[in-house]
Amino acid sequence: MTRRDASWAILRAASAAGGQAFFSRWLQAAQAAAAAMHTHSEGSPPPPDPHDWAAYKPQFFSAADFHTLDLFTSTLIPTDDTPGAREACVSQFIDFVVNAAAEYAPAVQEEWRRAMDYLRGQDFASMTEEQRVSFLERISAPERHPSQHDPGFTHYRLIKQMTVHAFYTSRVGLVDVLEYKGFAYLTAFPGCDHPEHHQV
Amino acid sequence: MPQKFDVIIVGSGACGGWAAMALTQSGFKVALLEAGSHIEPYRDFHHQWPYQLPFRGSGQPGFLRRYCRGATEYNYRLMIDDVENPYTTPHDKPFSWSRSRVLGGRTLHWSRACDRLSDLEFKAASRDGYGDNWPISYTDIAPYYDRVERFIGVSAARANFLQFPDGVFLPPMPLNCAETMFASAAGRLGLPATPRRVAQLTHMWNNRPPCHYCGNCVNGCDVGAMFSTVSTTLPPALKTGNVTLLCDSIVSHVLVNRENRACGVRYIERYTNRTIELAANVVVLAGSSLENTRLLLNSAKGGLANSSGILGHYLMDQIGGAAVSGFLPVLKGAAIRNDDGKSSGLYFPNFTNIAPQTGSRGFIRGYAMSATGGAAQFPAFAPDLPGFGSSYKKQVKTLYPAFARVWLSGGEMLSRKENFVALDPEVRDKWGIPVLKITCSHCDNDRKLYADFFTRAQELFRAAGGEIVDAKPYLSPPGSLIHEVGTCRMGEDPKTSVLNSFCQTHDVPNLFVFGGGCFVTTGDKHPTLTMMALSARGCDRLTDLAKKGEFA
Repeated sequence: MTRRDASWAILRAASAAGGQAFFSRWLQAAQAAAAAMHTHSEGSPPPPDPHDWAAYKPQFFSAADFHTLDLFTSTLIPTDDTPGAREACVSQFIDFVVNAAAEYAPAVQEEWRRAMDYLRGQDFASMTEEQRVSFLERISAPERHPSQHDPGFTHYRLIKQMTVHAFYTSRVGLVDVLEYKGFAYLTAFPGCDHPEHHQV
Repeated sequence: MPQKFDVIIVGSGACGGWAAMALTQSGFKVALLEAGSHIEPYRDFHHQWPYQLPFRGSGQPGFLRRYCRGATEYNYRLMIDDVENPYTTPHDKPFSWSRSRVLGGRTLHWSRACDRLSDLEFKAASRDGYGDNWPISYTDIAPYYDRVERFIGVSAARANFLQFPDGVFLPPMPLNCAETMFASAAGRLGLPATPRRVAQLTHMWNNRPPCHYCGNCVNGCDVGAMFSTVSTTLPPALKTGNVTLLCDSIVSHVLVNRENRACGVRYIERYTNRTIELAANVVVLAGSSLENTRLLLNSAKGGLANSSGILGHYLMDQIGGAAVSGFLPVLKGAAIRNDDGKSSGLYFPNFTNIAPQTGSRGFIRGYAMSATGGAAQFPAFAPDLPGFGSSYKKQVKTLYPAFARVWLSGGEMLSRKENFVALDPEVRDKWGIPVLKITCSHCDNDRKLYADFFTRAQELFRAAGGEIVDAKPYLSPPGSLIHEVGTCRMGEDPKTSVLNSFCQTHDVPNLFVFGGGCFVTTGDKHPTLTMMALSARGCDRLTDLAKKGEFA
């Protein structure tokens, strides 16, 4: 519950029936608001993701390409001791964005078609997990060695950039994995309390 | 017979909002015209997590291209639509103009920095022989700085810097870990450093609540803890009952009578395209530096109040460009803290050319830097970090709290006549008003100043123990700092200036121009506080003259 929701609760209660009923409701809402404010002083919890990504049906990618994309993104950001691209529904989000590019940025769709053509040509979907990792190591080599070239590098960068963006802006990536603590309601800013940082 | 107002104010940003408050409180009947739409912070501003937005902040692909630079999925409704409101530049001289047309203007999403200029800026020409002095000195404006700071609320630490005068301050916000390390490094390098002075409340002030440290400032503050017209100056103006607020009203002309006095404005209703004339005894332009000048240029052949021929010239922005960024190893793998909740940072006021001997580093004037670091909402370094898989994921997490940057928060761009705006003879906006053609470029001094910043910022970063990752110098095109000032400069001599020191036009005594247009030099400080202080001073002058019957 955000502070806004709490104040709305009060307003709704205030505009409801009068007399005893009004006051009891108002008090409940006020107590709820006070409780919520108290939580805020500890840092308000991030809200849930309003989208039901797990139920999302791909619109841009074919079923086969979507499977390929899922294998690629979960190799980029795998599920290990923390959730990965799959739990964050990265591929679903990418499909949603690329599909929506039709209106103002059709060239974006062309880039993704070329990337999927390339991966189909490499038979990426048939590779084992180890083969996928060594394939990605090969096509990503110019990241570490800028003088090198690889025909798959452009496609790798396209998918990686979008995957990284999708993952770290998802609730899973931002809250569960990065443990981001900002964007909260606080009564005081927690400044640096490390004496050693004053003598760097 | 249509109603005649005492004063028409064009624009509701920092200066228009202040003027509306000051003049209505003096008893004037005021019409406040705003080209953009009405906005209610409590209704229209929300805390939105990226995953709550359909496109996680980036907008539908391609959609935000029509908006000015700085527009995101969070805030594009506050930003101007460049397709409806174009401007032109020569092909080889790009200029980046970020505007807002909405009640409150750019105060809704500004960076909130409140800096006082000193006589090092006001009297710079006397020190190094370049350009002109301002017609005012620090003592003329200091009481107005006090008045504005006291009302809007500025959180800052007293520092006693010659080049960065102290003011009326609320308690400063504490520094985060990265900023503490940069402050420590600055101490050893002998650089001045202080928490950035910002119009964000650290306790209840003038019926406004304190900051709740969400860090959402640039998307609009939902509680009014940061200064904006809608949170701070408009409510007291409305309370007087003396203001008629007209939103969606695009002013095309200042109307002038046969005695060369301003007698009102002509405006176009944004949605109906109806043209309406409004009469007043005094006209105050406060629609931003360049929009004010555009309006003057469009109001008379050769430009209204332009007997000097100077109107449009001496355009300045401030110098900005690529930051120095990287990691502070001490913070690698540290427990994640709320580092970006106050979104202000550490400020390094100018430290060059302060000694009596100026120009010893090969350039004149100065620049200010800022630094911050820590876990920001999005790990900006991650897309370019090589690798993938579990090791990549762990590396992002380790580096997340250690990312830091030092950036140029403003360098003085020299005032030059050949940087100017004029009406484009061919291009008009959606309402048929001629648009500005902006001709602006950097000079050698500007480039040397940026190069010096880049060297110093790297020294600072290393002194804080940092590893620099991204250090490619790049000077941003003029306009990028969104500190565009000049084109309507103030001065003693009507032959070489448009305004007197009270922001009143030399040629048309009942026409005032508030905003950055009057700036003679840009200095290295953020301009808004000075613009507001000059507006407050101009309002005092306007009130005095009106009481003497000058505008009857």
